[in-house]
Amino acid sequence: MLEIRGLRKSYGDVVALDDCSFVARPGRLLGFLGPNGAGKTTAMRAVFGLIELEAGSITWRGNPIGLAQRQRFGYMPETRGLYPRMRIHDQLTYLGRLHGMTATEAGAEASALLERLGLIDRSKDGLDKLSHGNQQRVQLAAALISSPELLVLDEPFSGLDPLGVETMARVLRERAHEGTAVVFSSHQLDLVEDLCEDVAIIRQGHIVRQGQVDEIKDASPVRHLELELADGAMDELGELADRIVEKDGNRYRLMVPADLDIRPLMTRALDGGQVRRFVYTTPSLSEIFLEAVA
Amino acid sequence: MSGWAGLWLVTRREIRERARTKGFLISSIVTLVLIGGAIVVPTLVGGNAETHEVGVVGEGNATILEAAANLARAETAGVPDREPDSYEVTEFPSRAEAAAALEAGEVDVVLVEGNTVLVAAQGFGGTSLVGALQQAAAAVRLQELTASSTEAASVIEALSNEPLAVSTLAGEDSATEERGTVAYGGLILMYVAVLSYGNAALTGVTEEKNNRVVEVLLATLRPWQLLGGKVLGIGLLGLGQFAATVTVAFIALKVTDALALPTLEPSIVVVLVLWFVLGFAIFSVLYAAAGALASRPEEAQSASLPMTMIAVLAFFLSFGVLGNPDSPLSVVTTFVPFTAPFVVPIRSALGALSVVEHLVAVLVTIAAIVLLVRVAARIYSGGLLSIGRRVKLREAWRGTN
Repeated sequence: MLEIRGLRKSYGDVVALDDCSFVARPGRLLGFLGPNGAGKTTAMRAVFGLIELEAGSITWRGNPIGLAQRQRFGYMPETRGLYPRMRIHDQLTYLGRLHGMTATEAGAEASALLERLGLIDRSKDGLDKLSHGNQQRVQLAAALISSPELLVLDEPFSGLDPLGVETMARVLRERAHEGTAVVFSSHQLDLVEDLCEDVAIIRQGHIVRQGQVDEIKDASPVRHLELELADGAMDELGELADRIVEKDGNRYRLMVPADLDIRPLMTRALDGGQVRRFVYTTPSLSEIFLEAVA
Repeated sequence: MSGWAGLWLVTRREIRERARTKGFLISSIVTLVLIGGAIVVPTLVGGNAETHEVGVVGEGNATILEAAANLARAETAGVPDREPDSYEVTEFPSRAEAAAALEAGEVDVVLVEGNTVLVAAQGFGGTSLVGALQQAAAAVRLQELTASSTEAASVIEALSNEPLAVSTLAGEDSATEERGTVAYGGLILMYVAVLSYGNAALTGVTEEKNNRVVEVLLATLRPWQLLGGKVLGIGLLGLGQFAATVTVAFIALKVTDALALPTLEPSIVVVLVLWFVLGFAIFSVLYAAAGALASRPEEAQSASLPMTMIAVLAFFLSFGVLGNPDSPLSVVTTFVPFTAPFVVPIRSALGALSVVEHLVAVLVTIAAIVLLVRVAARIYSGGLLSIGRRVKLREAWRGTN
């Protein structure tokens, strides 16, 4: 388990991290969310010792993180970059060796990854000979080369076409399934909602929501209500009429307090007649996010 | 993975990738061809016998030409692989016709009545030929005066050579003097190598920041491993290229005998190689430290001038040391890291340095290299996350671990 506790870091007057704490568990995907400049990249860099923290601790399986632990981590930084002219197989092998693998292991793993990402025929090409999308795949392979126990990816989906998004999502799911703790930041909230079991939302360097996506949604003080009423049955809404956020003919979308007793409405829906459609859900992750960082 | 294993991985990558680039291959081949050619070609041209086309008008020319041929034979007698120059004579009925042939380039010079040499123009071309004819004419005149050709030859030799042997005070021990020359030659090579390859270290350390791979690497490498490995890789490759060039030049000189090489004593060669490596290393690291401040190669270039100035100053210092190896300046600069590589080999060659002093100088320089790598690594990692802009020294120092 990756445990991040009470991180603090400021650049001059700007506070990047302010008592930032969250955890990432093996075998699970954690979506790390926050507006631009909220401190996501700084927190991820901190895991790899790339910044000096003013306070706080980061542990992996209860131990402070040093170079030995980081050899078992994979990292895709916000500022993407590899050697442009170096052959991609050589490049992955080199990175594997920096992660403590032998030349044979690293070479075999590089071949296996290139095979899976459909780039095995390009093994001897320099990175700059590949298309943008394929370069992104190599960047992903670079993060995966050491079969990491912890995978940290900063905006892995940015700049990918739908096919690239699909590949990336598949690979991340597979890794999590194999037991890797996966942390990634993203602004594509629907994707995160679809992919992740856990989320952490950061605002001004501080974590404001954290936990399982379902639990966070359940904990929200509001619910979505979608109704379709028979003609002229507006009265059925009663005082709920104040809570309509969208109206389309006889269809209504409402935001209601989570503690609202919906049984009367449900009963009427079951009776048939006036209420023809009844959908009651927790808010989407996007709505939770917007509410959390407001 | 130990610290050295990481360092070595970086070094190996650096050497492999650099050696594979077209730029490196081309520059290596061009340098070798140029150096080899510059030494071999002149000896090929100069070593072959030339046939001079000489036009003659009137009487009294034959004796001069015969004397010239004799002198040419005497000059080349005993020199292996050298044939004497020869003269092909064309007779012209009049000076005007000879002049026309000279104008047309059919003959190189024209001898007129045994007392005048006619040349097309006063310039570079005909001078050695004219000189040879003048010398031959002088020999003929002398022969007329002394009636003996052997005497004439010795008179000519007496006039053309320096009759007094020149000996300097320092030269009393000519072996020491020669060692000094060898050491100085070694310093010139080091100076050239430092200036040629220093910039490679300077711009090389900005590579990872420029292509932004640095964050991936520093997740598993310490900054000193990355920086040290790069400098080592660039340096070893540079040393290899330089050694190949020097070897080719040395072999070419040996084979062609174009230049009299001084004898190389093993002890001085060991000292020179040791200090060449130390000097090369400390300046490479110095250039790398300057490069660590920059995030792009273009920025790094602007930081190279101060480093070059240090090398130039140290090199000029060694002139003074050659003249006066025991002066206080010579003694002090023996123990200053950046000047030691330029001072110690000369003082050692001239016998002005004790073993203990030599050892201390080596240790001081090695300590300085280690310290400088640490400083450079700190600057390097401090400036790490300010990708894309030049880092102020103080910021970089405070920046991070």
